[in-house]
Amino acid sequence: MTGALLRVDQFLRGAGQFHPAASARRPWWWLPLMILSFAALYGAFMGSFHYVTAARTWQVFYSAIKVPMLLIATSLLCLPGFFVINTLLGLRDDFRESLQAIFSGQAGLSVVLAALAPMTRFWYFSSESYRGALLFNAAMFTVATLAGHLVSARYYKVLIARHRHHRIAHRAWLITYALVGIQMGWTLRPFVGSPDVPTSFFRDEPFSNAYIVIVQLVFGS
Amino acid sequence: MISWFKQLDELLRGKRTEPGQLAEDRVNLPLRTFVSLAIILGALYGFFMGWYALLNREPADYMQLLAAVIKLPALFLLTLVVTFPSLYVFNALVGCRMTMTSTLRLLVGAVVVNVTVAASLGPILGFFTLSTTSYPFMIVLNIVLLAVAGFVALGFLLHTLRRVALRPLNWTELPKTSSTEDESEDDAARMPGPLEHIESDPSGLGPANSVFKIWVLLYGLVGAQMGWLLRPFIGSPDLPFEWFRERDGNFFSAAIEHLSHLIGAN
Repeated sequence: MTGALLRVDQFLRGAGQFHPAASARRPWWWLPLMILSFAALYGAFMGSFHYVTAARTWQVFYSAIKVPMLLIATSLLCLPGFFVINTLLGLRDDFRESLQAIFSGQAGLSVVLAALAPMTRFWYFSSESYRGALLFNAAMFTVATLAGHLVSARYYKVLIARHRHHRIAHRAWLITYALVGIQMGWTLRPFVGSPDVPTSFFRDEPFSNAYIVIVQLVFGS
Repeated sequence: MISWFKQLDELLRGKRTEPGQLAEDRVNLPLRTFVSLAIILGALYGFFMGWYALLNREPADYMQLLAAVIKLPALFLLTLVVTFPSLYVFNALVGCRMTMTSTLRLLVGAVVVNVTVAASLGPILGFFTLSTTSYPFMIVLNIVLLAVAGFVALGFLLHTLRRVALRPLNWTELPKTSSTEDESEDDAARMPGPLEHIESDPSGLGPANSVFKIWVLLYGLVGAQMGWLLRPFIGSPDLPFEWFRERDGNFFSAAIEHLSHLIGAN
């Protein structure tokens, strides 16, 4: 356990095995493992809003499953396009390292999220407002996403120095990931769980499109 | 079949359009393989496109799915059939050195790149289809995804044309001229990707650039109208299945109409 946490510390510092230049020595399974465990940890905290009845325990479990699912499923959907773009840009020889760079970003996001989990719990203690809880979580995700971006940029810096086209590939990844991630988050909701609605894995309503909801909110049609 | 995908991989990695390969005035893209690949990958994108009719029509409309699977590769290849004669003639007029077969092979290559990128974005389209009922949104999303794929294919075409336009003598010098001093040694051995810009004497590129502009204009206009003629691809949830819709209107006015409808302007 201590060894594992030391490794996470190394990852955060970008030192040792996780030094951007030391890709060959990095154990590949470590990044997905970090995403799964830390994102699940945050998910559990996220789902603990309005934790007053035993039935709400399920929301804790559901969210612990859904936050890692959100990250992994979004990545899986974006990977085919990312692979083809990398190949076309002549970056296939570096593809393993590109994958490590993008997954490092998500692992960074997950670790930061987990670190913010006590803050979220603290917020839930201080306010019972569902709307406030949603906004606070959105803020935490924004912070974690920025931190994750910094981590992945660390690895991409090495790649971009090797070949400037990596910059295009990185941007393409960010754009598709954001496009799909927003819709994925909307599809997998609820993460926090409104206190007025019975706990459920998915909302008991037909799937809808996040962008259309946003447009309708803005234009008010 | 597996060898087809190996060849596709070589095309995507730029091995098939390496400067050395193009130097002998032939484009090494066997037509049978690459036309088949264009059909398979186009059909794959069409498959994801057809999901919308499965989910938003009662009962699920398998005919529309089938139509999308057939129509999508047809769109690209029929446009090529219609435009190829004029594309070739302009190419010869402007003074590009490619033979007729090489021209055709190069264009098929660009179509394959286009449908490959589109097919790789297919899962994203499928995911949005699962969670969207809005027809205008699906149309705009499809236009965006296909436009992205189209721009990548245009990049491929432009860079390949430029490579063809360079004089064969230059090929042997390429690795040295393309790597600058601050790059590491192993970079000199790196094969240029198909979208990579190769530094060269700009005076030789005039014909390549003109051919490219003419091609884009012709193929783009015919392609857009071909898409309009072949519609419906996605299938409006309010209309019954038809193989083809009535022939009226054109692509551009319809795209603008859907966009303004989506942002609620009318």
